[in-house]
Amino acid sequence: MKRYSRSMVSAFVLLAFHGVVLLAGFFAPYGYATQYRALPHAPPSLIHFVDCSGRAHFRPFVFGLKEQEGTFSQYERDCETRYAVRFFPRGDGYTLFGFLNTDVHLFGVDEPGRIFLLGTDGFGRDQFSRTLYGGQVSLFAGLIAAGLCVGVGMVAGTLAGLYGGVVDASLMRLAELCIAVPALYLLLAVRSLLPLQVGPAAAFVLVVLVIGSVTWGRPARLVRGVVLSARERNFVLAARGFGATPAYLFRRHLLPETASVSLSQFAVLVPQFIMFEIMLSFLGLGVGEPFPSWGNLLAQAQQYHNLVSYWWLLLPGLAPVPVLMAYYSLSNLLQQGPGAKNEEII
Amino acid sequence: MKNRHSCFRILLAVVFSFCGAWAQTQAHANPEFLRVAAAEPGRIGGRLAVGQSPEPKSFNPVTALDQPTQDVLRRMNADLIHINRATGKTEPALAKSWTASRDGRTFTLQLRKGIQFSDGAPFDADDVVFSYRVYLDEKVNSPQRGLLMIGDKPMIVEKAGPYSVKFSFPLPYAAAERVFDSVSILPRHLLEKDYAEGKLAQAWSLSTSPQKWAGLGPFRLKQASPGDRIVLERNPYYWKVDSKGQRLPYLDELIFLIVPSRDAQVIRFQAGETQVIAPLSAENYAALSPDQQSRHYRLFDAGPGMEYNFLLFNLNEDTNKFPEVVRTQEWFKDVRFRQAVSMAIDRKGLVRLIYQNRATPLATNVTPGKKQWINPEVPVAEHSPAKARELLRSAGYSWKGDVLFDAHGKPVEFTILASASNALRSQMATMIQSDLKALGINAHVVTMEFRSMLDRIQNSHEYEAAIMGLSGPDDDPNPDMGFVTSDGPLHLWNLHERPATGSWQAELDSLMAQQLITLDHAKRKKLYDRVQEIMAREVPVVFLLSPNILAGAHADLGNLRPDIIDSYLLWNADELYWRTPAGTH
Amino acid sequence: MILYLAKRLGQTFLLLLGVSILLFVLTQAIPGDFFSEAQLNPNISADVLHSLRSQYGLDRPLPVRYGRWLAALIKGDMGYSFSYNQPVTRLLLPRLANTLVLAVPALLVCWAIALVAGVLFAGYGGRWTSRAFSFGTSMMLATPDVLLGLAALLFAARTHLFPTGGMTSVGVKAGLLPAAKDLLSHLVLPSAVFILSAVAPILRHVYAEMKQVLQSPHIRAAEGHGIPRLRLLFRYALPAAANPLISLFGLSFGLMFSVVLVVEIVLSWPGLGPTMLEAILARDMFVTLGGVLLSALLLVTGNLLADILLYVADPRIRVQE
Repeated sequence: MKRYSRSMVSAFVLLAFHGVVLLAGFFAPYGYATQYRALPHAPPSLIHFVDCSGRAHFRPFVFGLKEQEGTFSQYERDCETRYAVRFFPRGDGYTLFGFLNTDVHLFGVDEPGRIFLLGTDGFGRDQFSRTLYGGQVSLFAGLIAAGLCVGVGMVAGTLAGLYGGVVDASLMRLAELCIAVPALYLLLAVRSLLPLQVGPAAAFVLVVLVIGSVTWGRPARLVRGVVLSARERNFVLAARGFGATPAYLFRRHLLPETASVSLSQFAVLVPQFIMFEIMLSFLGLGVGEPFPSWGNLLAQAQQYHNLVSYWWLLLPGLAPVPVLMAYYSLSNLLQQGPGAKNEEII
Repeated sequence: MKNRHSCFRILLAVVFSFCGAWAQTQAHANPEFLRVAAAEPGRIGGRLAVGQSPEPKSFNPVTALDQPTQDVLRRMNADLIHINRATGKTEPALAKSWTASRDGRTFTLQLRKGIQFSDGAPFDADDVVFSYRVYLDEKVNSPQRGLLMIGDKPMIVEKAGPYSVKFSFPLPYAAAERVFDSVSILPRHLLEKDYAEGKLAQAWSLSTSPQKWAGLGPFRLKQASPGDRIVLERNPYYWKVDSKGQRLPYLDELIFLIVPSRDAQVIRFQAGETQVIAPLSAENYAALSPDQQSRHYRLFDAGPGMEYNFLLFNLNEDTNKFPEVVRTQEWFKDVRFRQAVSMAIDRKGLVRLIYQNRATPLATNVTPGKKQWINPEVPVAEHSPAKARELLRSAGYSWKGDVLFDAHGKPVEFTILASASNALRSQMATMIQSDLKALGINAHVVTMEFRSMLDRIQNSHEYEAAIMGLSGPDDDPNPDMGFVTSDGPLHLWNLHERPATGSWQAELDSLMAQQLITLDHAKRKKLYDRVQEIMAREVPVVFLLSPNILAGAHADLGNLRPDIIDSYLLWNADELYWRTPAGTH
Repeated sequence: MILYLAKRLGQTFLLLLGVSILLFVLTQAIPGDFFSEAQLNPNISADVLHSLRSQYGLDRPLPVRYGRWLAALIKGDMGYSFSYNQPVTRLLLPRLANTLVLAVPALLVCWAIALVAGVLFAGYGGRWTSRAFSFGTSMMLATPDVLLGLAALLFAARTHLFPTGGMTSVGVKAGLLPAAKDLLSHLVLPSAVFILSAVAPILRHVYAEMKQVLQSPHIRAAEGHGIPRLRLLFRYALPAAANPLISLFGLSFGLMFSVVLVVEIVLSWPGLGPTMLEAILARDMFVTLGGVLLSALLLVTGNLLADILLYVADPRIRVQE
């Protein structure tokens, strides 16, 4: 029961994250590509209640920024200008769920002030907004790839386990082959073969799809193991004795048996694919500009000069950590559940 | 027999090294040595470590294709006539003097007498003739060969005496003296056998033993540990002396540490494990600046280099296979469209945000680094979205809402390719995308692995626009031939173009052909000025900017003179020395 | 056993054959080749590039190239590197040795830590320790390796306690002892990063297996007999959990390559990683192929090793034969 409630906590955290990311347009004060070129590398805005002369204000506000003379993107706060924080202001337009056009945001400040909760990057783009939008690419790439990987793995594993013999041998050899070929190589091939007219986000999703569909080796092996042992169970033998078709066997008996393995595999694979996206961006092969993703936000923060001079660029790079942790906790709990074996982490 | 041979070799080595020790003390005795006057006399000793990425690939100057390998090899080899990296002028190297025939077609070079390779073997005209035979041999496939071909015909190299070599060109050649720069002279006694057996390309790989390697440069091979480092040591037979008569180089050892990531290079430099870093990105320059005093290093900004970055439109004529590309070419082929794009781009913004003001906006492919050749009259396109819109309107474009439509009512939308491995260029693409958005043009940026992108640009021509950068190897118009002339291999916007007579491209072709054979400098400059005017007016590609060459070095290193052409700080490695007593580094 | 080994070797051979065919087809599918970049150099003429391509056989059809490569491989020749002008074996083997110097000890330390910590956490864990365990390992899994590497680099640069990369220092005194000390000081940081990124999954496995074994009747019975806790855990429970862990040990041997690649690149360790990445990006095809085959071979060797260990460790398996 306790385990159940802890799984619920992880699941809730994940749900909340996914929700916020899905509604990024609303939660983000600015568009992901909006460049404020007068404010590159602006530090995170602090929200104040007390102004420079010590007077308290009921409505929170941010100060304007002044570039220090003779420096490049070193700012000091401008006591003369205060911009009040507002809820539900109008700003950059965005589209929700692919059809709802709107320009209302959760929060913002009075024009021409800017609120950058996580600072800005070198083009003056709001890092907070980019982090939220970035999650769309990273999280959903992870989900799609993991879903595909587990799906293909389940089908292949079940077929191999159910039919055995030549089917089993050839499928398993194929699985090993897929495990042994370096994904990076495959990725280069796919990325450069894609037609150009595909937009960068769509191209990335395609790449992720390909990766998901060739990494099915490991889940397939696990599912096969489960099917092999389930096949010998008495109720399955009985059903076969009564002349059940393979399709019936699969649906009625094997699917429930493999579901638990598949689910925990899924929970392990999602964070792995998110990590994969980070690795790709580190190598410069992730989703293209101007689209943000957690991988390319982190890749930019990893550069030495950014780490040293603009520490806030690291903040969006940390966004995946809680999500990944929630996934790993979830998978850990799922694996400790009854019947699940622990072969799947590596 | 074999045994006797090796015995003989050992004996020879002993004799040579003895001679070497003797030669060192008696350096000033040989009047043939080059006396370096420009550098301040330094003190002998110490070692210098440099971070290198990626790993150099071989010790073979004939077949080396890539820059990192060349960077190391240039420290180990010498050429006949050298271009001084600081002044940009030619100066004597292994050739102490030369005479040109009146028609500018034959050159006779007098070599220094009595100088030796780094293994002690003597150097003479046979080595020069052998070297050029190797470079020019089709079967060897040396990347340098193209450089030595003038108008598709090779130069002819003949021995004119034991210390004299005659070079004949098929045509009069304007930059003849510059041709000799960076063509390393090889030791005939070590490579003749490999060459005869057709195995020259495989000779001198990274696993070559230092005893089997020799050159005429300031340093020679001491040790190479794969993936880790290359250690060079002082060449005791080097042929330069300083004004006090001390034999160069000053440093005992020059060490190249292989450091694959740029960030790690910066960190190791800051930690003091390497003492020279070049080139440096503007961002890392800024990040390193505050610690200059406390960490005891100096940073250099040598000004704009030779690199020119540009936005390339696909104007190739063989794109019928790709209707998507043909659709965009209708816009690109209109000079007004290209001019409008050029005016829409905020070059100062690019320079400020991406290069932190350490770059220069460009009007043409001639960067301010080409001090002798840039035409100051040609202005950089001003940033004016309003004028850009006006120009587009006059060309029949219109706007609906924020979107630009062409005369046929189609929205203007195209993809810009950028290299995934070059962060700066993909950043430029991002900013240009945003600038074009202001004009109503919807541009997509696609980052792609560099070689795949090149394949599209050079071979398949399946692309719409791209951000590219090229770099000339020398302060001279000749390296630009390939870019400007219609049949050049780097004429990327329209490869294998056949320009209509009377077109501006035809004029460019004839101007470039004329400058190649014009020996008078002022006349040549005039021709090249005209080329720049046309390039700026017709905008075949949209020139963007040229980054400054930035570098850093330990504050105690003497004789540092950053250059903008090659290796930036190490070009005069033979003159570098430690101001602090030797052995502390 | 011998029959089994022979069968495994046969499978391995087929697997490697499959990998090599797939890689060949992929290289063909990717546009551009090793010499594409040289096309940008104004000094290098098109003729030179053309004959370089034909010299390396890049203009031949794919099956011909594959056939040649395979024929050479049978003679122990893995082909030639385009960029290094050197046989692939001579290029890769010293680097492989460097990789193993880093990875094997680090992996063994990983296992030592995982076994001790995993058993203790499972054996003594209360509610809060098990939560802390879950949180800690999740945290380790969720931190990108690259970030760890960079943190180590910054640490070294700021404190000067350890060298910031490479495998040896410049100007170390001659002699075995100073050289060993120097190597050790260079090993510390990359090993630490390797261990931090590789230990979490192993630790979780040990923990989970132990938890399961501790539930089993014979351990409960032993507990009832009053055997001291530590002795119970390491003498009775751990051997019972050994079989799946041995299999995992074999697997982890092959998979250490993916971890060590990142460590090597960030901390400039002169191993296979930087060379492989460069070769993949530069389309140095035979180097890539050689590297992939080597790592696939190591993966298989690890599994084989695990099988042999199982055979030695578990009498039941021997009896089955």
